[in-house]
Amino acid sequence: MGGQDFIALHNINLEIEDGAFMSFVGPSGSGKTTLLNLIGGLDSPTRGEVVFNGFHLNEMSRDQLAALRRENIGFIFQSYNLLPVYSVYENILFPLLLNKQKESQVRDKVMALVEKVGLSAEVNKKPAELSGGQCQRVAIARALVKDPLLVLADEPTANLDVENSHHILEMMRTLNQETQAAFIFSTHDEKVTRFVNREVALEDGYVKSDKVKQPNGELI
Amino acid sequence: MILDMAFKNLIRQGMRSLLNVLVTALIIIAIIFALSLLNGFQAQALRNMSTTDVAGGHYRVPGFDILTPTEWEDLTLPVPQALRHLPHSEKAEVLVQQGQLFPNRRLFPVQLRGINIDQSLLDLPLHTLKNGRMEIGETIPVVLGKQMAKKAHLTVGDTVVLKWRDKFGAVDALDVRVMDVAPMINPRIDEGVVWMRLDHLRQITQRAGEVTWVAVKRPVGPVAGFEFQTVENLMADLLTLLKHDRRNTRILWFFLIALAGISVFNTQILNVFKRQKEIGTLMALGMTSKKIIRLFSLEGILTALMAIVAAAVLGVPFFIWFQGVGFDISHLSETGFPVREKIFLDIKMAEVVYSTLVTVGIMVLMSWLPVRKVARLEPTQALRGRAIT
Repeated sequence: MGGQDFIALHNINLEIEDGAFMSFVGPSGSGKTTLLNLIGGLDSPTRGEVVFNGFHLNEMSRDQLAALRRENIGFIFQSYNLLPVYSVYENILFPLLLNKQKESQVRDKVMALVEKVGLSAEVNKKPAELSGGQCQRVAIARALVKDPLLVLADEPTANLDVENSHHILEMMRTLNQETQAAFIFSTHDEKVTRFVNREVALEDGYVKSDKVKQPNGELI
Repeated sequence: MILDMAFKNLIRQGMRSLLNVLVTALIIIAIIFALSLLNGFQAQALRNMSTTDVAGGHYRVPGFDILTPTEWEDLTLPVPQALRHLPHSEKAEVLVQQGQLFPNRRLFPVQLRGINIDQSLLDLPLHTLKNGRMEIGETIPVVLGKQMAKKAHLTVGDTVVLKWRDKFGAVDALDVRVMDVAPMINPRIDEGVVWMRLDHLRQITQRAGEVTWVAVKRPVGPVAGFEFQTVENLMADLLTLLKHDRRNTRILWFFLIALAGISVFNTQILNVFKRQKEIGTLMALGMTSKKIIRLFSLEGILTALMAIVAAAVLGVPFFIWFQGVGFDISHLSETGFPVREKIFLDIKMAEVVYSTLVTVGIMVLMSWLPVRKVARLEPTQALRGRAIT
C-alpha cells in the first residue's frame, strides 16, 4: 500500500493430504485468499515454495500453471464467477471442453452432476435467472466436473443465507467423500467449522492454529 | 471451441453486439455509398462532357484556343478531305466565332457556335433549329442554354440584335430569334454560347465550308492542316477538378474508416474492462492468455463478418431504391460541373471489396489491440476486477 511492500503471509508451512476437507479461517486481511491463490497457482510467492502433487509451482510458466489448474484444480468463488452468457449446462461443461473433451462424450457426466447438485430443472437457465444458492451449486459442479485433485473455495458461503450455506456445505462434504478430491475453504464463517476435518486459523499472515477433528468431533 | 465460445458470447450479448454490428454495417454502407456516388458524379460529368462536346476527340485548326476569343476569327479552315466522307453519326462540324448580343441595350459578348444540324454524334437539344430554313430570313434562329438565357434575360421568342464580323473584317448585324431555351447540361456549351445552324453561321461570316473543329467519334489518324486534340486534352480542366474531388473523398473515406476503427476499439476496451472478472475466471479455469486473446479477437472478427452480412442485407435494398430516385444536385448545375439534376450510384465491385476488406482489417486490428493487455494480466488482479483501470 502507498508504494510500500506488504507481506501477506509469513512462515507458512503446511502440508495438505489427499481428500482433505479443511478450511482457512480468520478475519479479513489475515491472508486466507492469498494462501488459496498460492496453492491454486493463481499467484506466486515472493519467497518460499508451493508444491502441488510433486510440481513446484514457482518454477512453472504461466501456460504450465494454466494447464495445471485446468487439469487438477477446481475453483469456487464467493461471487460464483459463472460465465454470464452460458447456461447451467454450458458452465458445467466448460472445464471439460477446455480439457479438449468432446461434448458428446461427456454429456451424461455433466447431466449426472447437474442432477447431483439439484439443478435438473434449471439446466438451460442462465446465471442471471438463478438464485445465489443455485449459482453456487453450479460453481461447485463446474469445479468438480473435471475430477480434480483439489477444490479451492474462497468464501463459498459468504453471499448465502444460513439455509443455503448449510446445503452447500453438506453437498461439498458429500462430494468430498464421493470424489476424494481435497476441499480447502477460506472462510470467516464459524458455521463452516463444524463441517471440516481440519481448520487452519490465520491472523495477520501467520498461522495461529492448526486444528484437526478428533473422533469425538472436536477440533483440537 | 474458441470459435464456438466467441460466437455464443457475441450472439448472447444481444443489444450490445447488435449495435456494434449495425454501426459497422452502416459505416460500410456509407463508405460504399460515398465512393459510388462520387463515381456516379464523375461518370456522368465525363459522359455528359463527351456526349455534348468532346465526343472521341477534336480535329482542330492548329493554334485554336477556346480561351482566346480574339483569335477565333483567324483560326478557321475548310473541312479537310479526310473527314468529309465521315457520316453524320461519326462527326460533328463546328464553327466558332465571336459576336455581341445587345439584350436590353446591354452589350453581351458571346460565342457563336454553328453546328452541322444533321449530325447525330453529339447529343444537343437543337431540334428547333433543324426545322428552320437554310436561308436566313429577317432573323437568325438561335437556341440558348438555360444559364445563358438567364444571364442575358432572354426567353423563347425574344428577338435581339446580334453583331459580328465576317471573314473580310466587315461588321454586320441582324436580329436573332430565340427559338428555344434548352437544358445544355454542360456549362461549357451553355454559358455565353449562342447556338445556330452551321450553314447560317457560315453564311453570315462568309466562311463557306469552313470549320473551327470537327468532333469525331474516333480518331482517323493524322489529318493534314489539323491537329488532333484527345479527350484527355479537351477534358483536362474537368479531370483535374475530379481528381481533387477524389482526393476529398479519400479523406472522407479515411474518416469513416477511422470512425469504424475507433468504435470497435472503444467497444473492445469496454469489453476487456467490463469482463475482467470473466477473464480472471477463464484464467482460473485454466485457459491460457493466448486463448483468451484469441477469443476476444475472434469476437471482433465475427462482429466484422456479421457487419458485412448486415451491410449486404441493409445496403442492397437501399442501393436499389436509391438508383430509382437518384440524388438531386440541381444546386451544382451553376457551379460549372456538366451534370444533370440527378446523379446515380456507379458501384464498382473492386471498390466495394477493397473498402469492405479494409474496414474488416481495421476492425480485426482494433479488436486485437486492446485485448493484448490480457496477456499481461495477473489472474488474481483480473478476478478482483482491478487489473485494468
